[in-house]
Amino acid sequence: MALSRREFLKRTAALTAASLVGMNLPLKVDRAQADADRWVRGTCRFCGVGCRVELGIKDGRPVAIRGVPQSRTNMGYLCMKGMLFYQLMRHPDRLTKPLYRESKKEKFREISWEEALSIAAKKFAESIKNHGPDSVAYYGSGQALTEETYLFQKIMRAGLRTNNVEGNPRLCMASAVGGYITSFGADEPIGSYADIEQAFCFFIIGSNMAEAHPVLFRRVMRRKLDNPREVTVINADPRRSPTSRIADIHLQFKPGTDLALLNAMAYVIVEEKLYNEDFLNNYCTFRVGKEKKEVSFEDYKKFISAYTPEKAADICGGNITPDLIRKVARIFATSPATMSLWTMGINQRIRGVWANNLIHNLHLLTGQLCRPGADSFSLTGQPNACGGVREGGGLCHILPGHRPVKVDKLRHEVEDLWGVPRGRIPAKPGYHTIAMFSAVNEGKIKAIWINCTSPAQSLPNCDKYRKGMAREDVFIIVTDIFPTKTTELANLILPTAFHFEKTGVFGCTERRSQLTVKAIDPPGEAKPEVWIAREWALKLAEELNDPVIKKCVEPFLGLEPGYELPKAIWTEYTQKLTAGRDNDLRGATYEVLQQLPDGVQWPAPTKEWALKGGTYKKFVRGLDPLADEHAIDEKPYQFYGPAHKDHKLWVWLRPYKGPAEEPDAEYPFYLSTGRVIDHWHTSSMTGRIKELMRANPYAYIEINPKDAQRLGIKPGDMVLVETRRGKNILPAKVYEGPMEGMVFVYWYDMAEDRMINRVTKDAFDPGSKEPEFKICACRIKRLSGPKPLKPYLVRL
Amino acid sequence: MPIGGFVVHVQPEEKEEILRELSRHPQVEVFGHDEKGHLIVVLETETSEEMEALVEELSRLRGVINFNLAYLHAEDEVKKIEAGEIKPEIRFHRLRPEESS
Repeated sequence: MALSRREFLKRTAALTAASLVGMNLPLKVDRAQADADRWVRGTCRFCGVGCRVELGIKDGRPVAIRGVPQSRTNMGYLCMKGMLFYQLMRHPDRLTKPLYRESKKEKFREISWEEALSIAAKKFAESIKNHGPDSVAYYGSGQALTEETYLFQKIMRAGLRTNNVEGNPRLCMASAVGGYITSFGADEPIGSYADIEQAFCFFIIGSNMAEAHPVLFRRVMRRKLDNPREVTVINADPRRSPTSRIADIHLQFKPGTDLALLNAMAYVIVEEKLYNEDFLNNYCTFRVGKEKKEVSFEDYKKFISAYTPEKAADICGGNITPDLIRKVARIFATSPATMSLWTMGINQRIRGVWANNLIHNLHLLTGQLCRPGADSFSLTGQPNACGGVREGGGLCHILPGHRPVKVDKLRHEVEDLWGVPRGRIPAKPGYHTIAMFSAVNEGKIKAIWINCTSPAQSLPNCDKYRKGMAREDVFIIVTDIFPTKTTELANLILPTAFHFEKTGVFGCTERRSQLTVKAIDPPGEAKPEVWIAREWALKLAEELNDPVIKKCVEPFLGLEPGYELPKAIWTEYTQKLTAGRDNDLRGATYEVLQQLPDGVQWPAPTKEWALKGGTYKKFVRGLDPLADEHAIDEKPYQFYGPAHKDHKLWVWLRPYKGPAEEPDAEYPFYLSTGRVIDHWHTSSMTGRIKELMRANPYAYIEINPKDAQRLGIKPGDMVLVETRRGKNILPAKVYEGPMEGMVFVYWYDMAEDRMINRVTKDAFDPGSKEPEFKICACRIKRLSGPKPLKPYLVRL
Repeated sequence: MPIGGFVVHVQPEEKEEILRELSRHPQVEVFGHDEKGHLIVVLETETSEEMEALVEELSRLRGVINFNLAYLHAEDEVKKIEAGEIKPEIRFHRLRPEESS
């Protein structure tokens, strides 16, 4: 008997799920029935894991989603965060027409694309003519496709002659970049997710992986459950979270004391001779200071002797004892393979680069690197922070292919590859993010293009920067799919195509590039960014009467924007700009990426290598083709990273440094911020989906029960949070999450009262220029009992 | 009516109790399970918001480690959004009557 449609779909759902764990269900389905007309393969865009998904299309509309079982990232599993994104495609609030207003006091009016692009070109051209090339800027996103970031930065640098190219990965990843470059000589992790299944100790620090990267955390837990006695999960974090609750050991320390903890672990490793002498002798040097002076292991031992577990326990507070530090250091050092994993808790710090260095130090001292399961692995928050921004030239100091702007040879190489005159790209890096928006405040930047991100909400101490963005003499263009806090400050809003409405590549955390192919048309007049950038450049060339600007987009003229145009941009980027670089992607053509279920890990210099999936582990001879190519001796590991000419890994002597703003008598609490699974970044996207909003409709302030009792705060009470920069009023969640003396706020809420970045501190790491979102000092006070709250979403 | 196929990872020693608990929910159908603690679960709900809430609730059951989505079909709902029958507009007072002013 024929099954009903519902029964058919339920069986399909069950069979799909069962296939992921190799379970045979005694179910049959009629193959004549279909759940979708076709399935289009792509990557989920809601975090940095890079889960492969297929979008089911029926009668031209997105109707279903499923994981790709052959994918080495997610093995077919998805999380709730990704399940609903097809709704965004059909959401009635989508931006569908270009909107313009001359003055920010006026209302927006709909205009044509022709008019919009002319205005965009005219305003940038006027600014350049009157105030010079550095009066314009591009601020992009780790959610933009690589093709988009690459094309925008090419136009800005070679066309408009400015390195004012930045992006929101500065706010989340810059310290990890700094850490990898200074410790290993090359950006991005050595290993892969595949190390998870071979690790015996997980050291998860400054990351609530269970909520922020749930599909990857599933792999960690599977490893633990399959080997309960052999595998240890350690979580180091000031806050109790679903991650810490599942861990074998939770190290709970005062915010900002991680450098002391990590140095004390190194102390134990040195004191108890748990270090790997061979690894140190063969592959490492010891370095100190700005001059990167080389010192001896003896000097390091002397330096580290100041960080006894007793002293660190004193600094760290919480549940940290000298014995606990010793225990954890021993497990870390002696486990057959240790994998560290971290995110913003380490990166968003005044000394985020140092914190990254000190994690790497533990791996270098113990030789927990380059072997299966042993790696020092930074997790990414956004789907294309690595691929587009770190590799594609999306920050003010780097050109595509991990080339520092200030190195003449590399800059000229890029100019030659692009066929533009030498000297066209300025030698000086542009403004980093905080400097860029400070320059907006000061009126030095007159025209800025903000793509696919909302700095008006996501910058720390954002009121300060919103004042600048509100200036009438600063022209702001925003490309996005929804209205945001930043479109509120824009002059020109350009509607863009969403994921699966255009084609392009995301590069996820593990050096893996994956293609998403256009499945449906964008709504209304929304356009892919690559089309917008190309057409804008042509108009700029006319306005400025500068053929070099046209030259930047010449290879892409006339190409169909849904597939052919991004393909041509990817081809130029990979074949020319990554050739011979450590992120060599020449083998990862669109054709190859479409053949593989899960894309390619660089280095992948040839198609043959790319078709095998690329490089699982960098620097290991036999596994990494560049390790063989650049080998300087017979040793199995070859550290050829472009930043370390000595081919060595560097153990850094980095002293303890606390946060920029510590609690005091006036502001006695630590304030920390973070995100929840349901509200990815600034909520302009997921916040549109009502079921997600229902789960966590408002930002609230998490308060430890002991503090709450002392201050007479009950669950749901309205609490005033004050810092030196401003105040918020939030409902209280009394909860054994943050430790005593610390409060925690999620940052997705767009309501003015609850927008936590109005009060966070904009101090930044002097190396990576990444702000210290994670820590500042605050005071809290009960204002009233529970109050009804109004939701807030930006409307135009 | 969205239909979701999930692999639920549970601690094997808690599996029987979790199966009993799941059988109390009319929107939940368990299609299979194994000794490693994998359950194959299909949820069928009136709306996707109901499914999301149900997943959140079931994720909190003692012994549940992960509630992973493998497959989701929501054609009816997409059609309703397009037809204007469902407007995924964010009106919290509609969603949370107790908090409306």
